[in-house]
Amino acid sequence: MDGKIIVVTSGKGGVGKTTATASIGAALAAEGKRVLVVDMDIGLRNLDVVMGLENRIVFNVVDAVKGKCRINQAAIKDRRIENLYLLPASQSDNKDVLIPEDMIRFGAKIRSEFDYVLMDCPAGIERGFENSVAAADEAVVICMPEVSSVRDADRVIGLLYARDITPKLVVNRIVPDMVARGDMLSHEDIVDVLSIDLLGLVPMDDHVVISTNTGMPLIMQKDSKAGQAFRRIAQRLNGNTDIPIEIPQGQGRFWKRIGTKFGLGK
Amino acid sequence: METTDQNNAPVRLKGMGDGLCVSLDPDQPRAFIRSELTRLFQPLKHLAVNARVILDFGEAEGDEGLVDELGVFLKENFGVGSVTQTPKRRGSSEDFVRRRDVDRSWHHYRSDVLMLTGRVRSGQKVTARRHLLILGDVNPGGEVVAGGDILIMGSLAGTAIAGQPDEVDTIVLALDFRPTQVQIGSVVAAGPPPSRRRFPEYAHVEGGHIVVENYMKANPFGRMPWPEVR
Ligand SMILES: Nc1ncnc2c1ncn2[C@@H]1O[C@H](COP(=O)(O)OP(=O)(O)OP(=O)(O)O)[C@@H](O)[C@H]1O
Ligand SMILES: [Mg+2]
Repeated sequence: MDGKIIVVTSGKGGVGKTTATASIGAALAAEGKRVLVVDMDIGLRNLDVVMGLENRIVFNVVDAVKGKCRINQAAIKDRRIENLYLLPASQSDNKDVLIPEDMIRFGAKIRSEFDYVLMDCPAGIERGFENSVAAADEAVVICMPEVSSVRDADRVIGLLYARDITPKLVVNRIVPDMVARGDMLSHEDIVDVLSIDLLGLVPMDDHVVISTNTGMPLIMQKDSKAGQAFRRIAQRLNGNTDIPIEIPQGQGRFWKRIGTKFGLGK
Repeated sequence: METTDQNNAPVRLKGMGDGLCVSLDPDQPRAFIRSELTRLFQPLKHLAVNARVILDFGEAEGDEGLVDELGVFLKENFGVGSVTQTPKRRGSSEDFVRRRDVDRSWHHYRSDVLMLTGRVRSGQKVTARRHLLILGDVNPGGEVVAGGDILIMGSLAGTAIAGQPDEVDTIVLALDFRPTQVQIGSVVAAGPPPSRRRFPEYAHVEGGHIVVENYMKANPFGRMPWPEVR
């Protein structure tokens, strides 16, 4: 196997890296790929919680990278989705226990055992970021429709290009009605500034919180718009680039369309 | 109608301070110039010996070869001391600057412009010794710095610092001008409030303040009488 290592990063915190890693990982595995998701947020782990696997942790990523255990000892098999594995972060260590060279060596090993390895990068551009991108072949940059998030995504994109990694963009937590009113940046505004390929647009969705609380993967929730968006993002990542990008629609749009139909529009 | 007026003669001589000034048209045949010089210098006899002679070619371009050749001729035949050309009116003459810039600027200048293509992203900084030209955009959080002018053929949304350290005559120009901050020399201004307009604007210093104007309307350099190297 000669898998791909994809880092999920954003610069800014709390924009949805962990949510995206869990959902895209689950969607790729659901397509039949062998997938490992790695929580690189050492000291602040939560990918395990989002995936509902926190009670099965024995070894962690630091143990695996340092060679204290084998990968198949540390990787936790998902409860629901076949072929999906989690390598949890260490909660007690500091990010400095790993260095980028460790990660490059480790990357060569895991590449041979999985089709896709997704690295859930911590916020910031310090050591945790360096470690997460060290072995990466590709990058997914998560950005929220907010000026400060765009600024940080831009910074990270510059750093990724400097490492010869071409990043792709996911805009998360879009509130269509706010965009329609002009109270939120549109994805066009964001792509204008960041000028990288767009992988997908994910709306703000209550199912995200429900999923975290119940441990039911977002992509398996039938009427989750965010879950469907992440499924399409996974397909595009997996090479189905002709899947169209769907623009999240709000209630406002719906009423406006009906209004137009009856000649009341504008 | 031909005149033989002294002032229009192709070779003229006049005393000048402690030397002799010869005005001549370098485009005349060499033999003619020599015979005219002989005609003018012969009567001077010992007055010409060791004299300092200055050749003035007027508006025409006298080449060094001609100066040397006539110098040898005058020294051998009349014993003059030194022969030089009138010093060029360098810099002081607008006429000179105009001809230099229009006709021969490429012989005199290596480029003082750093020209880049692409996008300056947040956290990135580009510095030019003199002028900076970017075919691309400057994102919010990006910084461009120049000793001279800054020209952005795209949108400027980051910080632009021109005329460093103290050239307040420089400008910052962008096709889509919405910088976070502009600095020219040591004068600083916050960027304009967000707007949807997209037309070329430029910032310059006027009375100690940074002023932003529509570039096409102000056309600040269009009124210059001729092109000049900046
Ligand atoms: N599309 C969405 N709709 C609603 N809530 C969302 C969405 N995406 C993320 N969230 C919520 O936003 C919060 C932050 O998400 P998440 O933990 O995935 O971000 P992160 O980038 O990993 O954060 P950190 O930088 O702290 O690691 C969570 O509470 C999550 O439930
Ligand atoms: Mg996270």
